[in-house]
Amino acid sequence: MLEIKHTLCPSCSVGCGINVVLDDGEIVGTFPYKRHPVNAGKNCLNGRNSINCYKNKFENVEVNALISDVLKELQSVDSFNVTVICSGNNSVEEIDAIKEFAESNDFNIGFYADNLINVDEVASYDDIENAEKIFVIGDLLYENPLIGRRIVHAKQNGAKIFAYCKSETSVICNLADECFNNSVDEFLDVNNANIDESSVLIFNQIDSAENLDKIKALNCKLLPVFSKSNSKGALNVLESKSKDEMLELFDNTKLLLVFDDDVVEEFDYDFSKISKIISFAPCENETTKISDIVVPIKTWLEKDGSFVNAMGSIQTFNTIVESDVLSEIEIIEKLKG
Amino acid sequence: MSYILAKSQNDDILKAGECGGAVTSIFKYLLDEGIVDGVLALSPFDDVYDAMPTFITDSEELLNTAGSYHCAPTMVGDLIQKYLYDKKVAVSVKPCDMRAVEELITRHKINRDNIYLIGLNCGGTVSPVSGRKMIDLFYEADPDDVVSEEIDKGQFIIEFADGSEEAVKIHELEEKGYGRRNNCQRCDVKIPRKANIACGNWGAEDGWTFIEINDEKGQELIDGAKKAGILETKNPSDAAVEGRTKVENIMIKMAKKNQDAIYPTVSEMDEWSRCISCYACRDVCPICWCFENCELNKPYFKDETNVPPSPIAFQGVRLSHMSFSCVDCGQCDDVCPMDIPVSLIFDKLQKKYCERTGYVAGVSDDIKPPLYSPEKTEL
Amino acid sequence: MSDDLKIVGLLCNWCCYGGADTAGTARMQYSPNIRIIRVMCSGRINPSMIFKAFQEGADGVFVGGCHIGDCHYDAGNYKWSRRSKIVEDILEEFGIEKERFRHEWISASEGEKFQRTMEEFHKTLSKLGPLELK
Repeated sequence: MLEIKHTLCPSCSVGCGINVVLDDGEIVGTFPYKRHPVNAGKNCLNGRNSINCYKNKFENVEVNALISDVLKELQSVDSFNVTVICSGNNSVEEIDAIKEFAESNDFNIGFYADNLINVDEVASYDDIENAEKIFVIGDLLYENPLIGRRIVHAKQNGAKIFAYCKSETSVICNLADECFNNSVDEFLDVNNANIDESSVLIFNQIDSAENLDKIKALNCKLLPVFSKSNSKGALNVLESKSKDEMLELFDNTKLLLVFDDDVVEEFDYDFSKISKIISFAPCENETTKISDIVVPIKTWLEKDGSFVNAMGSIQTFNTIVESDVLSEIEIIEKLKG
Repeated sequence: MSYILAKSQNDDILKAGECGGAVTSIFKYLLDEGIVDGVLALSPFDDVYDAMPTFITDSEELLNTAGSYHCAPTMVGDLIQKYLYDKKVAVSVKPCDMRAVEELITRHKINRDNIYLIGLNCGGTVSPVSGRKMIDLFYEADPDDVVSEEIDKGQFIIEFADGSEEAVKIHELEEKGYGRRNNCQRCDVKIPRKANIACGNWGAEDGWTFIEINDEKGQELIDGAKKAGILETKNPSDAAVEGRTKVENIMIKMAKKNQDAIYPTVSEMDEWSRCISCYACRDVCPICWCFENCELNKPYFKDETNVPPSPIAFQGVRLSHMSFSCVDCGQCDDVCPMDIPVSLIFDKLQKKYCERTGYVAGVSDDIKPPLYSPEKTEL
Repeated sequence: MSDDLKIVGLLCNWCCYGGADTAGTARMQYSPNIRIIRVMCSGRINPSMIFKAFQEGADGVFVGGCHIGDCHYDAGNYKWSRRSKIVEDILEEFGIEKERFRHEWISASEGEKFQRTMEEFHKTLSKLGPLELK
């Protein structure tokens, strides 16, 4: 039977709504969720493809045997050589559970949020539309189109757009009044005097700690946009690590527990140096391919939870399809014994 | 073709339904008699702005679908085509839904024998997010307090829980960029005459639904529902028929006026420079049923490095594939993450095509758009 | 020739391609700007092929088919003639002058018509200059 249900898009931290179409309980497609205040039914390609994670999910397996394997591995290594990876892919509730699990066992926590920062008072999406000047670092139009759309609206409302993007042919450069292609450094220095209270700075990539400091010192509203749906929520309870700190952590790790993340894709690192990698993931990714143990977990469509989007709103999502696969939280309960 | 006034014989439906509840009653008749496997109709999810197509197999649940939802610019053509092809379905259709279904029947993607089209006269739809903003701005009301809305006599009317109403003239709203969606403003098909029956309150007296019966299947439907004791009918007065025609003509006149103003050529629109090649417009298009095997994804057309794409290599190709069948449902505008008014050029090309051939997508009686016919004629 | 106007020609195997051949064997002179692509029938030409040619840098596109009534596949050229109208309508949208797109019925024996058509088309395009797609 045909059914349409509301959920959230897990593809990035914008927090778009998306409808999924079910046929006899199986997810078969997406449908615009026009009532959703963030995206009004508009979804980018990543958003519409997000259900592929469900379509390609791992087959359910006898999880108890896997869990005891994981426990055996955990017992064979000193706790300071164990690193737990969590990320914006984990929901608010999962982050809490992972944090508690790691801290009570004295494991290291590796949490990476695109080298970006947590901002207490972020610009809201409406702030973007009403700003007089918008400064953009990264091709937000292409990479986070539903934030990009707000920049388009701002421009229609008369805002001036200044953008930094490596590629001169990117869509943000077509929209911007002034476009910089050399470096974030130059972009921030040239525009420093121009950035004031009426401005919003939106960024999804920053190359250096110095530039992050420069941004923090600015007298305007900031909006960091992350590549994962709950990075902001995770940042609210965990310290994020920089890329270098993450690599250093990998060097000191003998056992790596990856909770629904793809570190192999994200970091340029020789993961064969780590003796054991255990992945908890709903479907195959680059990390599960090289993992010693892969424990299947629920996709976001099979569980309840909440994400905090880039502008800090807590958004909840509900179970769309029931499944016997364990969620991350249930698995952590089992690991605790 | 004939006109009747109809009214439900079922008390619950009468109470819940809009002006007579004929549509809900006909659905109930079809389900209860086992004539269809299910009914595809809008029902509200979270609130009045959030009506979604719902497939109903139990006539008890039909009451949820009663009422009109102008803030639900949905499209059912592709849902039927993709997921309900082999089911017997009754579906409520706006004119653009009906036109999409007709075009898909032409393309053998929907089986006419399997489907009952219950048409709803349509003065236009409003996007839910901008609709809420509009209520906040123009009505100075909390959008959450609105329990129902209606378009009548050139006004967009909202009703609150205590029964009070507020109305603002539609053209005032539209001048400020609110009101109906752009494609609805220029749409000149207001009564879905290719549906089996077309229902609405235009010309109807209070408590009755005005129905135009468009074909034999529609007549059988009405006769059946009457026989089952769920529907009573009477003949409308001449004045009622005239009143309805008058409303329709005013609507069409307004639409034509809007058509005069708003068709730039593609090369004049700088919006294309922000296209991110996400293909949302193609994927949502009810006419583009073969998008999974699309020419745009063939190796000789695919150009991933080129964002924004060259308009002629992207929209040009799509235009040549289906613009003559564009039903102007505006779904492509609605889903474009970059707010590009995509439907403008498709609607414009369908109108050009209509000038050449007389073919109006999803409305004309020709079996196929002339482009596809094997006939030996030139344009 | 000093000009580098590019013309893409889509010619039907049974008639116009033969016409071009006739012009060639009879050593008729015409501007050498055309790049000929042979197709089995004008009825198999999609509008997207024309657009692709323009997008990739053609300054003009020529389509040649059999005279109406002579189609090797009975009705292919009727289909093309209807389709060509859509192509014209769409090209106009993209700011491409309608003179840059031309189609003609040329039989295999009409080498001279092929020569004349090419000369005319080249002259038209020379006046328009190179195409600048937006």
